[in-house]
Amino acid sequence: MEVFIQQLTNGLAVGGIYALIALGYTMVYGIMKLINFAHGELFALGAYLGFTVLVSFGLSGNVGTGAAILITGALVMGFSALAGYLLEFAAYRPLGESDRLSAVVSALGASIFFQNAIMLVWGARYRAYPADLLPNVTLGFAGQDIPLIRAAVLAASVVIMLLLYFFINRTRMGMAIRASAIDQGAAKLMGIDVRRVIVIVFLVGPALGGLAGVMVGVYYGQINFNMGQLYGLKAFTAAIIGGIGNIPGAMIGGILLGLVEAFGAAYLSLAWRDAITFCVLIVILVVRPTGILRERVAEKL
Amino acid sequence: MRRIVVALASLGLFLAGAVAGEEVVIGVMGPVTGAWASEGEDMVNVVNLMAEEINAAGGVNGRKIRIEVGDDAGDPRTAALAAQRLVGSEAIAVVGTYGSSVCEAAQGIYDDEGVLQIATGSTSIRLSEQGYPLFFRTCPRDDEQGLVMAEKVAEMGHKRIAILHDNTSYAKGLADESRANFEKDGLEIVFFDAVTPGDRDFTTTLVKVRTANPDIIVFTAYYPEAALILRQKKDMKWAIPVIGGDATNNTMLVELAGAEAANGYYFISPPGPMDLTDPAAKKFLEKYRAQHDSVPSSVWSMMAGDAFGVMVEALKHIKEPTSAAMGEYLRHELENYPGFTGSISFDEKGDRIGDVYRLYQVNAEGEFVLIP
Repeated sequence: MEVFIQQLTNGLAVGGIYALIALGYTMVYGIMKLINFAHGELFALGAYLGFTVLVSFGLSGNVGTGAAILITGALVMGFSALAGYLLEFAAYRPLGESDRLSAVVSALGASIFFQNAIMLVWGARYRAYPADLLPNVTLGFAGQDIPLIRAAVLAASVVIMLLLYFFINRTRMGMAIRASAIDQGAAKLMGIDVRRVIVIVFLVGPALGGLAGVMVGVYYGQINFNMGQLYGLKAFTAAIIGGIGNIPGAMIGGILLGLVEAFGAAYLSLAWRDAITFCVLIVILVVRPTGILRERVAEKL
Repeated sequence: MRRIVVALASLGLFLAGAVAGEEVVIGVMGPVTGAWASEGEDMVNVVNLMAEEINAAGGVNGRKIRIEVGDDAGDPRTAALAAQRLVGSEAIAVVGTYGSSVCEAAQGIYDDEGVLQIATGSTSIRLSEQGYPLFFRTCPRDDEQGLVMAEKVAEMGHKRIAILHDNTSYAKGLADESRANFEKDGLEIVFFDAVTPGDRDFTTTLVKVRTANPDIIVFTAYYPEAALILRQKKDMKWAIPVIGGDATNNTMLVELAGAEAANGYYFISPPGPMDLTDPAAKKFLEKYRAQHDSVPSSVWSMMAGDAFGVMVEALKHIKEPTSAAMGEYLRHELENYPGFTGSISFDEKGDRIGDVYRLYQVNAEGEFVLIP
């Protein structure tokens, strides 16, 4: 029972982080039919920006813990959105209507650029987030002690996902995004500025990814320059599992992947954890190539 | 036209050969980037500082030493490229590297090209069992480490042991070696499994280990993962002692884990830079501090210094600087060379002779304290 409860909460927290990153992949794919391979690097960039804000600006220790985390989160989301905008401006916009392969190559190039830029700016060493950011208390849940930080990470990702859900389904901009995802041509005829929609998607996706980076930093306490690779790959897997292009799909895929990892490691084998993860991907691709939610709500993005 | 180009090219080669004759090229292969970058940076800094001193004093037998750095990024594939690059830069001897699996990937290349290699942090047993005539190491082997590990754990009075490694040559080797020694001492192994290097989440692992109800966790992999384990163990409020191998002897461990989580952590290691008693080592560390504002964060870069030291010693005693002559000297003639980390001699396999392991514990301030 102890293993089950601990793994359940841990899988949910890790899954929430995967889901936040996966949203960036899926939103860009929904609009542009492009896999933004540089997204994992934007996530790593977010983690480093958070590190700089917390440690170098001396935020931790000067203002209260809650305020420090909120300010960091907000600043990092802003900066990551800016980086996403620059990425779109420099790597994708100039390609215009040329075929999708060039955009993918451009995405890979941008990914390498970002990773090396992070290494040159912040160094190749591991960096440590302040260890005493959150008080070391535990919450009782089903008779087990759950670290506060784990609950906080899960709560934060759920809140952000709900906000995004309302943004997409309850606002005019959200409607424009959904419309552009279904048919760009028709959306243009209806007076939707598709260019602007693309920019918005490249602001929102990286902002979520950057925030996930900060969450990883706070949760695990250490970041390194190539962390974007593995997280990017996992989140991409999550997006595919949920049905790429589908926003609720990315959320479900992320959480599911987190749980599969946690339970696979607990009940099957630790060393085979990543193998189990990618086996799930293969099974999904064979049994249901469009992902869990893709078919049913394709038209809803 | 082509003929002129060929003529120029061969002239160029000839000139390059003539210039190279006046200096000896020594390579340093280390993880300058990647997960173990702090080890690699220190290795290069230590060797560069030593080479500067020697060159300022006129070189060895009138020959200057030129250092070439090959970055293996702590990755076996990159290591093969780095080794080829160093061989191509005319290096006759190479200092390094740190990780055992990384070292293994480069060994064959140096052997094929007849280049002397002195590993500095690669403690896996099988590296020196392959019979490469020009392979040496200044670091001890895992079998010795496993022996000391079992001895210390038994002394602490623990009965039920959980062992975690990460499937790299080093960690798996040390884990197997320790397990054999624990079993010989009649201790019970209640858990034995691998974690994934580069992973961040060890809660899963820890929860699983806890259900096996051990007295102590023996962690045989590297410091980034050790730091996470200590930190997540603290978050779980689980107060079980953890003991690690020498790959966790790095001050980054405390930085990454936080002093509170690292407090009480044990590890087996050769003495750290600050515990070196040799006066030459102390003097060198002062110089190093003056140049870099800090001392090397682990003992492995000092092992790199010792590797470079014995190479220079060999060069002093041979007429023509060749890899084969250096190897011959190191294997058969070098005896009790006073290195930073103690006296150095090599056995037939190229392994270092002598007992160097000590037990350390991290105190509440995050300092490494030698436990006598």
